[in-house]
Amino acid sequence: MELITSWLGNVPDFAVPYALAALGLILTERAGVLALGAEGLLLAGALASIGMQLALGVTGLSLLAGMAAAALVSVLFAVMVIILRINQVIAGLTLVFFCQGLTSLLGTLLEWTNQPIQGLPALALWPLSELPLIGRLFNQNLMVYLTAPIFFAVVWYLQRSTSGLRLRAVGENPQAADAAGIPVIAYRFAAVMAGAALVGLAGAYIAVLSTKMWIADMSGGRGWIAVALVIFARWSPWKALVGALLFGCIEALIPQLAAAGIRLPQYFVLMTPYAVTLGVMIWVALSGRGQNDQPGALGEPYVREERR
Amino acid sequence: MPDIAPTAAPRQPLASRRYTLEIRQQMAWHWQALILALALLVGLGISTAILVAAGVPAGELLNEFVLLTLFDLQSLKAVLFQAAPIIMVGLAGCIAFRARFWNLGLEGQMIWGGIAATAISLFEVGPEALRLPLMGLAAALAGLAWALAPVLLKLNLRVNEIISTLMLNYIAANFLLHLVYGAWKDPRDAFPYSPQYRPFERIPEFFDGYSLAIPLALLAALLAWWFVSLCRAGLYLRFVDANLRVATANGVPVRQVIITSVLLSGSLAGLAGWLVAAGQESRLTQAFYQGYGFSGILIAFLARNNPLAATIVALLVATLFVAGRNLQVFYQIPFSMVQLIQALIVICVASSDFFIRHRIRRTLGRDA
Repeated sequence: MELITSWLGNVPDFAVPYALAALGLILTERAGVLALGAEGLLLAGALASIGMQLALGVTGLSLLAGMAAAALVSVLFAVMVIILRINQVIAGLTLVFFCQGLTSLLGTLLEWTNQPIQGLPALALWPLSELPLIGRLFNQNLMVYLTAPIFFAVVWYLQRSTSGLRLRAVGENPQAADAAGIPVIAYRFAAVMAGAALVGLAGAYIAVLSTKMWIADMSGGRGWIAVALVIFARWSPWKALVGALLFGCIEALIPQLAAAGIRLPQYFVLMTPYAVTLGVMIWVALSGRGQNDQPGALGEPYVREERR
Repeated sequence: MPDIAPTAAPRQPLASRRYTLEIRQQMAWHWQALILALALLVGLGISTAILVAAGVPAGELLNEFVLLTLFDLQSLKAVLFQAAPIIMVGLAGCIAFRARFWNLGLEGQMIWGGIAATAISLFEVGPEALRLPLMGLAAALAGLAWALAPVLLKLNLRVNEIISTLMLNYIAANFLLHLVYGAWKDPRDAFPYSPQYRPFERIPEFFDGYSLAIPLALLAALLAWWFVSLCRAGLYLRFVDANLRVATANGVPVRQVIITSVLLSGSLAGLAGWLVAAGQESRLTQAFYQGYGFSGILIAFLARNNPLAATIVALLVATLFVAGRNLQVFYQIPFSMVQLIQALIVICVASSDFFIRHRIRRTLGRDA
């Protein structure tokens, strides 16, 4: 019983980064840009937020710094794929490697590695926090609660606003969107940067609120799992949220098992998120869904031959 | 619009100068070479600036990188020694990418190569004289096996191979940790690695300080070149790369061709694992594979999937690896610098492609 309570209480801590990162990726990919760089952007967000936290200690500013850093790095990616029309897979991979190299270099040179920091205190949402069994779900830091409005805002933007409609049009059929007078390049640029800011926020969450220190390569494949999440959520934010909760549950279970004294081979347990990702991808493929809801122009650079 | 009377002041053109982009059909090879060289220079320039900012004295860089690494016999040996596994992963990248398969699982396949080679050593399979080739064979088969699932999943179920190969990397890496921290840990030591290989299980020198791994890697490069440019499968592969649909329509055995090349790629990566484990470390260590998968992908990209070009690029990357280790020892620059420099160079070279494929033309007025 105690096990389930504390397990459920830890789920949001692991689910929030997945949810934010997947949301950011959906925003970018809905505009037709294949976003494989999430793993790198998570690291950029994580390092910048830790730096800010060590410098000023204001958590809100640290999270913003993480967002800004990821958005800044993504400008490089946006120039590569939108203006220079480099293959989006190569550009995304290079972005990951670039960020891995840069963050681990900076983290070491600036001596930010392994410096513990203060996170945010938990806020109890009374009376929900007094509920039996699930009470601890409502005893989280502020950022967990803020994730809900961010999620609603982005979903509203994508599905209800005119601008969101235009963004989706750019992702489905850039030629038609261009003919309708939508600035394709500008929309894609904005979508890449805004998406990156959300991924950076996820990275900042991992660093400042969850791990509470900087370790080189601390994202540990979460960015890739988020990319996979978007694929099996079929570019739908709500399904991605469900997926994020699923992965949150799995990751939160790992430390609980050890604490409960259940002895399992440690490294096999650490494999589970990756194995589950693979399993879910196969399951989605077997059930014959998946590819159809992909944005029509995903991964294709937009070339208007004659620019006037 | 001719029948509307002109207003008092003549209308200004919206913009007097415009830039237009055109697709360039062809570009003379010397211009291409010049652009490529400029891109490399820019990449190296940025890298130099970062190194100087990181605290390496600018005057020492030339010394450290160029003179000490290439014109010193001892370092040259080190570079060639380092190059062998890098050539292997580069070739592995080339062959998979030719089949339009993003094999990002090079590291996972390398890990399994190392594990399989170590298993042969630990369980003393086969006579002593055959032990080393057996280890190599096991490594190649293990790498091949680890590449089998992603390619079948992609062809049969359209599972994205980028994600599946990466996930398999993490699974392989955790399994490696399970072994070196657990059952395979060297009982004589506190460190997480397997017992040392016996002398006959290590890759010998073939000539005064030059490891046999070097000719082996060059041989692999020749075979890979033969595979992609001379044999029938290579011709099919070019067909698949150029246009999958037309290839299918013309009766090219697309499936078999893709599976063959991906499996070949996996076994080359497995062999790279064997070269590192049996040639450099003489044991299975917890991080022997790190950095190779990334380099393999970049080499294949920079070499445009040409095995012979990949060999040359791999030599340059090996130089970078050796110089990176020197920088780490003498200036405490983290080894991730090497990764950063590689990424920067790829960004610059990839960007330069834009100027090869497009022409920017300035046009005057609105109707130019």
